[in-house]
Amino acid sequence: MDVLGHLASGFAAALSPVNLTMAVLGSLLGTLVGVLPGLGPTAAIAILFPLTAVLAPVPAIIMLSAIYYGAMYGGSTTAILLNIPGEVASVPTSWDGYPMAQQGRGGVALGVAAIGSFIAGTFGVVALTLFAPLLADQALRFGPPEYFALMVLAFTAVVSLSGASLSRGIAMALVGYLLALVGMGPATAQPRFTFGFQDLYGGVDLIALIVGLFAISEVFLGIEEARVAIAAKITNIFPSRADLRQSLPAILRGTGIGFFLGLLPGCAPSVTVFVAYDAEKKVAKQPERFGRGAIEGVAAPESANNATSSAGFIPLMALGIPASPPLALLLGGLTVYGLSPGPLLFEKSPDFVWTVIASLYVGNVILLILNLPLIGLWVRLTRIPYGILGPLILLLCFLGTYSVRNSLFDVGVSLALGVVGYVLRKYHWPLAPMVLSFILGPLLEKNLIQALSMSGGSLLIFVQRRLSLVLLVAAVALLLLSFWLIRGTVKRVELATAEGAELS
Amino acid sequence: MNERTVTGGVLVLLGGMSVLEARRLASLREEMVAGAVVGDDTFSWIIGWSFLLLGFYILVVARWPVTHVSFPAGAARRRLLISAGMLVAYYVITPYLGYTLSTLVVSTGLYHAMGSYRWPVAFLIGCLTTGAFYLMFRVWLHEPLPTGWVGI
Repeated sequence: MDVLGHLASGFAAALSPVNLTMAVLGSLLGTLVGVLPGLGPTAAIAILFPLTAVLAPVPAIIMLSAIYYGAMYGGSTTAILLNIPGEVASVPTSWDGYPMAQQGRGGVALGVAAIGSFIAGTFGVVALTLFAPLLADQALRFGPPEYFALMVLAFTAVVSLSGASLSRGIAMALVGYLLALVGMGPATAQPRFTFGFQDLYGGVDLIALIVGLFAISEVFLGIEEARVAIAAKITNIFPSRADLRQSLPAILRGTGIGFFLGLLPGCAPSVTVFVAYDAEKKVAKQPERFGRGAIEGVAAPESANNATSSAGFIPLMALGIPASPPLALLLGGLTVYGLSPGPLLFEKSPDFVWTVIASLYVGNVILLILNLPLIGLWVRLTRIPYGILGPLILLLCFLGTYSVRNSLFDVGVSLALGVVGYVLRKYHWPLAPMVLSFILGPLLEKNLIQALSMSGGSLLIFVQRRLSLVLLVAAVALLLLSFWLIRGTVKRVELATAEGAELS
Repeated sequence: MNERTVTGGVLVLLGGMSVLEARRLASLREEMVAGAVVGDDTFSWIIGWSFLLLGFYILVVARWPVTHVSFPAGAARRRLLISAGMLVAYYVITPYLGYTLSTLVVSTGLYHAMGSYRWPVAFLIGCLTTGAFYLMFRVWLHEPLPTGWVGI
């Protein structure tokens, strides 16, 4: 079947009542969590991840993807109205979005953000439809050495997920690998790193890890900060014709920058939004307007953010490489449901892949339909007291972690990791590399053992096979490129936020 | 002890543990699969030595960024500790009281601690939360949650 045929059958499945409901529900829940001050897409996915555990794989991944999209949009709402970016990718939006809100044009800023996000998101999904199958067509050329090299390439994402300190990122990645080793060994089926505890024989559960590190620690930080609701009034949300004329070129430029940089594995939205904002400032006739409420300063980074996030689905689905922390959690979602993202995903589970891709188109439309009229509601939701919200999130975390394997031990693990995550976040340690390596660890190990068994223990097998060599060279090149991009962005964020940069 | 020393020390300890476990796994491999050059120990070696290298690098060579961290004090610390304590209590009492009763007890405590609601109000919100969770997860989704001594 050709791409269009696959996509048509994907649409048929994505528009089924269950899948459509999950897309709507995910968009709503994602936006709901995203608009809460201080909570970004990563926290939103971590908090809502357990809810999807009771669903079948396709609706679950559709819901997770919709949560991701929704939370990203919600994040821009708090950045514009409250000057509280949920994560670094929303920082440039707040530079001009918040001044616009102060001038009484917050609704217009939100409207432009929604339109820019829609255009960029749709462009990204169209490209995903066209490009990902081309990459995945190489599936049959992949043996264990190539897969191992691919995992090494994926490991380069640790650099962009590490934020300002690479040493911390690598240390966290190693801890993630170590946790992945706990349980039964794949070669001899003997327990390892269990130290006699039978509860550890089944290994550490991914959801327990994600919920503990991201969701529980987030609530602890919220308690400490005594987060409070802030009032904001919204009047008109529809941009005028002049606003659209002014912002459309910025949306297109932001989309282009976000998309093409986002194709590089390891290039997260937190990098591309700054590049897009800088580019917009450079082409502007009056660059002094930026930082004082220039509509292009909202349109460009918001479009870049969404374009990069959509482009990130291409390396995620075709190669199994997540470009950002939320995508690392989505990768976790795929593995929880027994799916291995990578070249074989398109061949082994075409129905799943095309349904999810079609649901991304649907999700973009749902977000636009929901968000423009519901902006007033989202603003009111930012006023829910944290004293209600925090306990609800914690109770949901407890239940969600338990329900995956019906194990109280997993709950204990997530609570312990919640405390660890809280302390690590206080010290600005990046958590995403740990999740990435926890997910990649078993795949890396399996392919390393198989490749070395094929070669009788010789490492030369990785450079003797052409595709494997190409992937390893690409890994080195990407590593260098990521270093270069990250260094520039860290300086930019430090200047902007006057504190340690946390790009992840 | 500063952050750098603690980090380096912990990494070296983890590395040592991994290398010891790798040694045990290697001898197990030699016993179980004669002639195999790789096995469950391979990755443990790699991880172990990587931990040791990074740990010593951080201890001896690396320029470590200074992070100024302030932990909460006063009421915020009390709220944080009580909330964490409530979660531990939840974990401990659930097998005995069952999911529903424990959720009622813990949610009431959390609303009181985190939201500073008076006990009757916290109890009321706790009842509503527990009821909603019960309907959603027990009745609708048929989640097999612990029932404890009381059987609910």
